[in-house]
Amino acid sequence: MNIMPGLESTASALAAEKVRLDVIGQNIANAHTTRGPDGQPYARKMVSFEAKLLEVGTNSDGGKNFTTGVGIKGIKSDPKAGPLVYNPGHPDADEKGMVRLPNVNLTHEMVDLIAASRSYEANLQVVRTAKQMAQNALRMGR
Amino acid sequence: MIDQIYDRENYVLAKKLLDVSHARHEAISGNLANVETPGYKRVDIKTDFAEELKKLAKSNDIESISALRATLETDLNSPSVRPDGNNVQLDSELMKMNKNAMQYEFLTQYTANSLKRIKTAITGRVM
Repeated sequence: MNIMPGLESTASALAAEKVRLDVIGQNIANAHTTRGPDGQPYARKMVSFEAKLLEVGTNSDGGKNFTTGVGIKGIKSDPKAGPLVYNPGHPDADEKGMVRLPNVNLTHEMVDLIAASRSYEANLQVVRTAKQMAQNALRMGR
Repeated sequence: MIDQIYDRENYVLAKKLLDVSHARHEAISGNLANVETPGYKRVDIKTDFAEELKKLAKSNDIESISALRATLETDLNSPSVRPDGNNVQLDSELMKMNKNAMQYEFLTQYTANSLKRIKTAITGRVM
């Protein structure tokens, strides 16, 4: 048994949420990127999470203790085509003057951003509470 | 002789409840870690654990109390508001966490005070 309960699962969640924030940042940064390395407009990336069993030491009977953490299952590109807009002066316009924009929806990304930062905050609160509990436990003998 | 001091039922009960509180924080942190995981179901201490402990506390059966284990179970009864079936709710989970931490604080203070009383009895001085 470790003195700060739930630290491993919270750490995994903070790492996962940070990856999600990174990807959202990437999507917002590339909201107007009409040409990537493959010549195609940028495709929105999505992070998917999965629950993961983490080993957290052994208990008093010698058995292993597990806790549920979270991991990144994968980062997938959204295959949906972005909007076509008429802009004949654009360097990436086709012969008809149409430009294919990325399929990034800024509203969508902002909502995701808020959700990700809220769950990051919630997990930080878990660490703070665990620290408080450990301090209380350590003060017991005094 | 010293064992008799530490084997009193309220001390054993406080110790057991501290263990439960610790395990509960572990469970809640797992739930909050998976607040965005599709299909995840929240876990918590088994619902009938409190009843069982209450019954044992009434019977003053120290050995059964210390042998009782708080096991976690998946909570399938909480409603899910998400299409993927995840039933973790951020606010209620945070409330449960705060309540649990408060209980932990109460128990640590209770245990600390009973230890202090033992010290007072041994030394004859109020510290």
